[in-house]
Amino acid sequence: MGTTEETRNLLATARARWEAAAGRTPRVLVGMSGGVDSSVTAALLAEAGFAVTGAYMKNWILDVPGMRCPWADDLADAKRVAVRLDLDFRVYDFQDVYKRAVVDYLVAEYKAGRTPNPDIMCNQDVKFGIFLDAALDDGFDFVATGHYARSTVWETANALMAGAPAAEPTRLLKAADARKDQTFFLYRMQQRALARTLFPLGGLAKTDVRALAEDFGLANARKADSQGICFVGEAGIRDFLSLYVPPAPGAIVDEDTGDVVGYHDGAINFTIGQRKGLGIGGGARYYVCRKDMDANTVYVRDGEPSAHRAEGLVLEDPAWLEGGAPTGGACQVRTHHGEVLCDASLSVGEDALRIDFAHPHDAVAPGQSCVIYRGDECLGGGIVA
Amino acid sequence: MTSERDFIYLDHAAATPLDARVREAMAPYESELFFNPSSPYAPAVAVRRAYEQARADLAHAIGGKPAEVVITAGATESINLAFGSFAGHVVVPEIEHASVLACAAARDHTFVRVNKHGLVSPDDIAAAIRPDTELVSVGLANNEIGTVQPLRAISEVVRAERARRLRDGITIPIVLHTDASQGAGQVNTDTATLGVDLMTLNAAKIYGPKQVGLLWAHRDVRLKPRVLGGGQERGLRSGTENVAGTVGFARALTLAVADRKREVERLAGLRNALQRELCAAFPQAVVSGHKRHRLPGSLHIAFPGIDAERIVFKLEDVGVLVGTGAACAANKDTRSHVLTAIGMPPELADGSLRLTLGHLSTEENTARAARLIIEAVRGEYERMAR
Repeated sequence: MGTTEETRNLLATARARWEAAAGRTPRVLVGMSGGVDSSVTAALLAEAGFAVTGAYMKNWILDVPGMRCPWADDLADAKRVAVRLDLDFRVYDFQDVYKRAVVDYLVAEYKAGRTPNPDIMCNQDVKFGIFLDAALDDGFDFVATGHYARSTVWETANALMAGAPAAEPTRLLKAADARKDQTFFLYRMQQRALARTLFPLGGLAKTDVRALAEDFGLANARKADSQGICFVGEAGIRDFLSLYVPPAPGAIVDEDTGDVVGYHDGAINFTIGQRKGLGIGGGARYYVCRKDMDANTVYVRDGEPSAHRAEGLVLEDPAWLEGGAPTGGACQVRTHHGEVLCDASLSVGEDALRIDFAHPHDAVAPGQSCVIYRGDECLGGGIVA
Repeated sequence: MTSERDFIYLDHAAATPLDARVREAMAPYESELFFNPSSPYAPAVAVRRAYEQARADLAHAIGGKPAEVVITAGATESINLAFGSFAGHVVVPEIEHASVLACAAARDHTFVRVNKHGLVSPDDIAAAIRPDTELVSVGLANNEIGTVQPLRAISEVVRAERARRLRDGITIPIVLHTDASQGAGQVNTDTATLGVDLMTLNAAKIYGPKQVGLLWAHRDVRLKPRVLGGGQERGLRSGTENVAGTVGFARALTLAVADRKREVERLAGLRNALQRELCAAFPQAVVSGHKRHRLPGSLHIAFPGIDAERIVFKLEDVGVLVGTGAACAANKDTRSHVLTAIGMPPELADGSLRLTLGHLSTEENTARAARLIIEAVRGEYERMAR
């Protein structure tokens, strides 16, 4: 793993090279969430001599009567850090786009019985969609985020800066800290976004980042990492969905015997493979194996979900970071963030992709993403059909 | 970050530290004298006596009778009790505290405009009073800009309307309530002098405990209870009495009233010096609130073009805690209704600080705060010029 010094040198060198070629200091708009990662991102860039402006993206606000808007504290944290670093700071209001691109998508997917990943949509449509557009409109050269990922942006940036089309596409690479690698969430970024995005933390370990936050005197150095969907939080998903989909009682049926073994308040609240919260007693170890959304019925099986293995996956709606589809063949994949990469082989068809696992893999709920890697490079991926 | 011991506190309007003498008065009732005042045995009877003595002290401090005082869990509850006791139309200035505005908005109401100093005109109150108006509620002093209202003159208006109704054989009552939470200890809170029929006070603003308040209601005013139960507070506010809190409140109010003249002079001296320093450094700064009718510890000052929230963050880094008149950046659309009401343009409102002095203010730390505020504001102007 790279050291903090290497990261500092890399940023300073890249900035100097860009400056020499462009004749001015590169302007970077840093997406600041109030968390430690994006705070350190801003601090590192400012320290390396970039002209940094902090930006808070005001996304979807869940209007629950009587609840203090939870994001107000995050915004204050982000702004506090920007002030500490003496940076300009702006608030971008993306509520409308976020509602359409992320919230409506999430609800529609759940209604269809699928298990979507809103963080990926947020990155594609908001952070590296309208946020990037807003940054470019406002005269920034780059955006930066606190994601743990690396890219070849500096190899392609100079051509871009000169107004010429890049000679080759910018590639997305895994983070040096394999446990923190967040490329899973970034696989739907468009090439034009990748060519304009800086990931200064890609060479660092989380412990380095926290140490840097202390060094920079940032108040949020010890703030806990955010978890789950930005706007509701993991625990709140049921409450959140209940605002859009009224509870509807239905049966839980044993897939093998056909017996009704319990009842639920809406099939939408269950995920394939789910074991907890089924409310079925009696010794059987049930997990959700299937849902019939039209009948509002949840099917369960007794046993280990790991027994429910998949040899392969069919993927829809592919997204490729370099623009076009890669060649088929050996690759590595993961189906959720943090999963150790699994060997697989990729077949690229007309509309659909197929992944064949080298070793049987846990079943993956429809709507989830499967992200494809070759070596250090993240190629893209698709959505499990 | 400076340790909390070293900070300079300039937000007394938001919260005040518990006075050591108040803490001392409360202490026995938080430990050995824990008894329920309604219990029959002697130690509990002693607690009951202490509680009633505290009520008498509170009443005495504002020129009222003990039987006219209802102890509540704070000013918001007192205001809700006052408003809930009347069914008809209400008249309130548009710069009132959120609890008054919310209570008014829940019924037939008229919001009265204020002038650019935040002053309510008795004539405007008179014009807003309708035949079915039952309650006029005017805060003694505004919590943001510190303007002190001409309550005596407003009470004359209410009194005149009451006399007119009597003369005309109309039995609809009309009373004047004041939320005096922000004024106690800095302006006269004698109910007879102010001419009010109801008054709300809050212990937390006068170096007493939080979640303790009172509603004083002249004996001719009939209150309607909102918290039902065991019939405490003459049935007007049920729930086992907060003895320690009430004893502390009584001590705090007694001290506030006794020390008022001296404290007013001291605070005005500090505030005026602070204002002079800041205005000398930034001639473009705008001071709000009425020049003379203003809380002595209150300085509301706006720096054109500045984002006051940044100043708050910069100052907290150097150990100065200040309030801001601007909304948090999270809610540009909920900018202070007080500043909007006095006609302050949004750009100016966003650059405003609310500096409120009090017990923790000294000549030395106020002077130091002035220097640090000047530095912070200057730094912001410099950053913006880059």
